[in-house]
Amino acid sequence: MAETLLEVRQLEVVYNRVATAIQGVSLTVAAGAVVALVGTNGAGKTTTLRAISGFLPSEDAEITDGDIEFEGRRINGEPPYRLARSGVILVPEREKVFATLSVSENLAFAAQEDGAITLDRVFSYFPRLGERRNQLAGLLSGGEKQMLAIGMGLLCRPRLLLIDELSLGLAPIAITELMQRLQEICRELRLTVLLVEQNAYAALAIADFGYIMESGRVVFDGPASELLAHPDVREFYLGGCTQTETKSYRDVKQYRRKRRWWG
Amino acid sequence: MEFLATIVILTCTNALLAAGIVILYKAGRTVNLAHGELAIVGGYVFYSASLSGSDPSLPFAIAGALAYSICMGVFIYVSMMRRLVGEPFYVAILVTVGIAIVLKSAIIVIWKAERLTIDFGVAPAVYFSGGATLSYMDITGVVLTIAFFVALFLFFQFTRLGVQFRGTAENALLASQRGVNVNFVLSLAWVIAIGAATMSGVFFGARAFLSTDAVMIGLAGLTAALVGGLDSLRGAIAGAFIVAAAQYLTVRLIDPVLSEAVPFLILLAVMSIRPWGLFGTMEELDRV
Amino acid sequence: MSSIGRNLRTDYLQANEVFHRPYQQVLIVFVIIIAALIPAVSSNFFVHLLNLSFLAAIGALGLMLLTGFCGQISLGHAAFLAIGGFTTVILIVHVGAPFIVVVPASALSGALLGFIVGLPSLRFRGVYLAISTLAMHYAIIFLATFYQTKFGQAATAGIPIPDPTIGPFTLSGDREWYYLLLVLLALLTAGCVNLVRTRPGRAWMAIRDRDIAAETFGVNLARYKLLAFVVSSSLASMSGSLLAYYSNVVTVEKYTLDLAVIYVAMVIVGGMGSILGALLGALFITLLPFGIDALFDYLPREWRFGSTLFGVQVGAVGVCIIVFLLFEPKGLAEIWRRAETYFDRWPFRYRPLESARR
Repeated sequence: MAETLLEVRQLEVVYNRVATAIQGVSLTVAAGAVVALVGTNGAGKTTTLRAISGFLPSEDAEITDGDIEFEGRRINGEPPYRLARSGVILVPEREKVFATLSVSENLAFAAQEDGAITLDRVFSYFPRLGERRNQLAGLLSGGEKQMLAIGMGLLCRPRLLLIDELSLGLAPIAITELMQRLQEICRELRLTVLLVEQNAYAALAIADFGYIMESGRVVFDGPASELLAHPDVREFYLGGCTQTETKSYRDVKQYRRKRRWWG
Repeated sequence: MEFLATIVILTCTNALLAAGIVILYKAGRTVNLAHGELAIVGGYVFYSASLSGSDPSLPFAIAGALAYSICMGVFIYVSMMRRLVGEPFYVAILVTVGIAIVLKSAIIVIWKAERLTIDFGVAPAVYFSGGATLSYMDITGVVLTIAFFVALFLFFQFTRLGVQFRGTAENALLASQRGVNVNFVLSLAWVIAIGAATMSGVFFGARAFLSTDAVMIGLAGLTAALVGGLDSLRGAIAGAFIVAAAQYLTVRLIDPVLSEAVPFLILLAVMSIRPWGLFGTMEELDRV
Repeated sequence: MSSIGRNLRTDYLQANEVFHRPYQQVLIVFVIIIAALIPAVSSNFFVHLLNLSFLAAIGALGLMLLTGFCGQISLGHAAFLAIGGFTTVILIVHVGAPFIVVVPASALSGALLGFIVGLPSLRFRGVYLAISTLAMHYAIIFLATFYQTKFGQAATAGIPIPDPTIGPFTLSGDREWYYLLLVLLALLTAGCVNLVRTRPGRAWMAIRDRDIAAETFGVNLARYKLLAFVVSSSLASMSGSLLAYYSNVVTVEKYTLDLAVIYVAMVIVGGMGSILGALLGALFITLLPFGIDALFDYLPREWRFGSTLFGVQVGAVGVCIIVFLLFEPKGLAEIWRRAETYFDRWPFRYRPLESARR
């Protein structure tokens, strides 16, 4: 396996000093890999992401235990702009573009002077952005906003790109298209990506490795292809399309109990 | 002609204040109720700095005012406003109210609440055809105000920092995710706003006088900002003009006693007719 | 064993009790006895100071209901006080009404004005509401100035008010006033405590915490916001009327924006959302200038000359506002609550997390 870029060990995050959102989450992201972090609502995916990108203080949350290491350096509690400069770039869930700036201003905002990627390169990845470069970003469609957000992320010289809910609010066809484009870009630029998704199928389809979270813990992990084939994952995250027999509630309970033991 | 000249000068004073209020509002969704105080204290600092040498010197005064703007802006942001992220909206407003009181007391303690007129003794009036009288100080004020707004426009439109500034104003969280040092940008907002206020205070002090009552110019500035729209810099100029014209015309045509009442009467009118202002966006009403 | 279990509230009725701790009744009786004995043992001046604090506390209770419980920020509290003062003047000068009529009438006129000033709150929230109350302040003060210059005798000295009479008694000395104000304040405090734990109070707190959510739960926003303004301004107006009688003079110069800010300071220093806080804040902010005056006795004599003392007194209020907002946003009431918790849990300690300490 390639060298480890990001390592999260036994992370625990508490909101408002009372509510524990995640407990004992450990993740490893290898350089050059696309890793998917999948889970349902409230599983703790976004919290994990916020902890990595240093956004917890503004939410009145804090890391109460565990370490986050980026390139072997402990980055717990570093301010976001410092992290962003060292290459940990977050594409957030919503409000991901500056609505009152134009498309090219949005991109210029992010661009690093000596960055390898230029505005034109982003426009070549997403031709639709090029057509609308002088429009206000607030007027773009959801998919275009997502493209713009990824473009902004790329211009920040990312060493690790954290993408929160790429599929949120997009049409299924747009998701597939965007995911494929992302995969192409990652291959071309040899990017490391941590993809946080509810849409398990779309995320695992392009990922190399996957983690599945539930109730603040990681319950499954493994290469994406294995996860895609795993019967429990198929049933609970991918719609269980191959399962012909109907399951009773007791089976589901059985699964939940099992999962609790793993967590 | 005379009345036009007066209105233009009043517009400049108001516009500089309104611009500061708008910048601070955009930067942190805070209405700065200490703006008049910041302006007048700036005027006092300018005056005192000019006397720090053997005879009144303009470079000293300007350096003093500049140092005041930078120190005050950075101090207010770093020591107070930065800690208020995530607090209820009223906390920041009330902190500015506290700042206002402290500054007023500074005027009383440091300058003994003295009535001062900023005067360099080099400014005989210039007469224009049509009976307008302007001192050199007034002309400098008008020119500098125009220069300030042009510079502000160029800065926001064409420089990278300006674009980052606008982005930070819209969404500070996202800006910091993109590697912008939000603390630097927001401190800069305070420095620019206080700098503009100081200019305004100096020109006001040159035309009239500095005193604890002079802080009322803050109300005119706030009204101007509201008339134009709290989130619009263009609006600040338009609003400043409207307030200035109304002030002048009331004094001239109706009753000088009313001149103090004009800003809040306009304020009431705007609040009841078009609270988001001439150029502002309606959504702002719900944002704060 | 420990008292932790006893003080945990486990159901709604418990949360709604006035006294959460067994010793609170005792404490209140104790405070009232002390308060009743103070005039017997202290100087006239100290009683005078306490009278001023009580008057301020009535106004601060009003602002606390409005800002601390309903979350509507108001910079127009001085105007409410002014309305009380000027209603008193008008009723005495033009009608010749007695004290017992004037004070309730002032409260009523304050209520009416509160309704008008509260109207913008139906349209605005937050910052804009604060600005609209600011505008209202200037408008009311302008009208009051107009009245004073047209009808007042000596415009600069203000309009004199005679000592009030209740039946055969004339209230003139500080000590008589003290007991009247003490009883009144106790009654109003009890009223406010009950108000905030019944339906209006809960509606206000819901509005403060999230107005849209409150509306979906069936709180009539318009009604309860206006109610908050009405109650708040009638309390302030009553305080203004009493202050007019107490100081024997009404003049518009007193009702500046600074006065409104001083009331805001009381609410902040006392602690937002606490009736106890309103009382503590009023006491603290009223005594502050006199405390500073006393401190100046220990400083070089020259410092007293000029306006330094006055400037420092003014500035101290501002410093209090800033320091409390930044470092103790829930004010003196929170310090009191922490002390209570400390003794409740003794010998165990409650350790806040890192982020809470900041």
